[in-house]
Formats: sequence, C-alpha cells, structure tokens
Amino acid sequence: MPGSIEFFVWCTCFILEVAVVVCAIRAGIFRRFLPLNLYMAASAVGDLLRFRILFHYGYTSREYFYFYYYSDALLTVALYLALISLFVQVFKELSAEKFVILGACLLLTGTSLFSYLVIQQSTGRLLTRFVVELSQNLYFVGLVLTYVLWGAILKLRETRAQLVQLVLSLGIYFSLFAANYAIRNLYPAASGISISLLQFLGCFLPLAWAYAFWRIPEDARLAPATLAVIPR
Amino acid sequence: MKLTVVAAMVILVGAMGLKTAVASSGSGSVVMANGGAPAPPSPWKNGGAPAPPSPWKNGGAPAPPSPWKNGGAPAPPSPWK
Repeated sequence: MPGSIEFFVWCTCFILEVAVVVCAIRAGIFRRFLPLNLYMAASAVGDLLRFRILFHYGYTSREYFYFYYYSDALLTVALYLALISLFVQVFKELSAEKFVILGACLLLTGTSLFSYLVIQQSTGRLLTRFVVELSQNLYFVGLVLTYVLWGAILKLRETRAQLVQLVLSLGIYFSLFAANYAIRNLYPAASGISISLLQFLGCFLPLAWAYAFWRIPEDARLAPATLAVIPR
Repeated sequence: MKLTVVAAMVILVGAMGLKTAVASSGSGSVVMANGGAPAPPSPWKNGGAPAPPSPWKNGGAPAPPSPWKNGGAPAPPSPWK
C-alpha cells in the first residue's frame, strides 16, 4: 500500500489538475484549449477512480492493475489529441490544419498497427499487452511530435507566450518521463527510486499548465529574438 | 498529401527508434505518463495482477477426478498381476 508521501503527492497532482481547468475557465480560454482541458479533466476523474479502486480493492489487486493501465492508455490517447490540437493552433495561420489532422490520424493508425505487430506473438493477455504497448508507443510518438512542434514554433517565430509555455512544458514533461524510463532500463537497481519519482514528475504538467493559464494573459507576446543583420 | 504521409512515417520510425534506444537493456519496465497515482508493479515481470488461472494446470475450478487414476469408484484389480 502506498505511504503518506505518495498519497500527498497524488492529492497534490489531483488538485493541480482541477486547478488547470478552473484557471482556464476563469481566464475565459476553456474552449480555446478544449482538448487540453478535457485531458486534464479526464486525468482528474481518472485519479478519483483510481483512488476509489485502490482503496476498495487494494494496491496489488487485479482491479487496480487493470484500471491503472487501461486508463493510462486512454489518457495517453487524450494527451496525443491535446498535442495535435496545439499543432493545429500553430499551423492555423498556414491553413494547414487538414494536413495536420490527416497526419495525426495516419500516425495513430500506424502506431496502433505497429503495436499490434509487436504483441501478436504473445500467447496470453493479448488485449492488455496491446493496450500497454500502444500506450508506450504513443507516448514516444508524442515525445517526438513535441520536439517537431517546438522546431516549428522556432521556425515560424511564434510569439504567443501562452502557447509557447504550453508546448515547452509538454516537451519537458515528456523528456522527464523518457529520462526516467531510460534510467530504469539502464540501471534496474535504481528502479525503486525511479518509480517513486514518477509521481512527482506527474505533477509537473498540471503545475506548468495551471501557471500558464493563471499567470500568462491570453494576448501576451514574447519579445522577438534578435533580428539577423543582413549586409546589403 | 504525399509529404504528410512521408512525415508521419518518418515520425513513427523515429519514435520507435528512440523507444528501442531508450529501452536498450530491456528490463521490462513500463513508462507511465498520466496522473499522480502510484504505479502498480510492472505487468510483465512482477505483475500485481494475478495471472488468470491456467486452464491446464492450476485452474480455479476443482479438477474433475481423473477417470484413469483417482476415480471415485474403486479401481478394478489389475488384469496383469
């Protein structure tokens, strides 16, 4: 059973997730960042349900195990859609939304297919393996996509501070989890600490997004970078 | 259109390559990225969930008495001795 620190972090994370939605509603940008807010709301609901299942059935129960991984997969898909919505916002001015959506659908289909090909030789618990594999693969696709989006923001000289903050925090969040995952794989002896750290890392994204919605005005712009001097 | 398809494939290949590189030693751990709930043990090595009972070895249901060895009926005397 998790200890009091784990429960404290869990509750903090839940409060931050709710805070993201509340701050977005308060700032009047709930609909503008609808997928992001829906993801956070779903994450908060997921936490509540996980909490209930954990208390009702126990930490090592089959119910908690299955609910945790299935809900994690659904939340990863929701996070992927939230990321795509950020892509759409960045590429809106180029009128390239339909290409972004097409690419996102292709990528999701390709990732699902790849995940199925990886687990199709498994003998047992095929669906569970598929769900976990899809979640993993989609997570890494999200990681790469975030860096692609960050490159596009730099290239297009995006100056909307709120949007930049959202994408940057997403990039850091994905990178932290990837680093944690790598450490667990490279140093299995340290996996206990790494798994404990996961909970703390999980609080980063709601904290950063709540800050972005709470403190950064919708029309705030970043100062443009130093202009390049082109000799004539 | 073609460019979109190619970009999607490149991203997919890149992501899977990155995953392979990160999980090179393959300890079987799982990356979890949503919410602050404590993660249950890895499903593939130390799964918290009990594996579903195998129908061939340790089924939850009581095994029917073997008709050849331990039947309820007394075994008939061996015809060879």
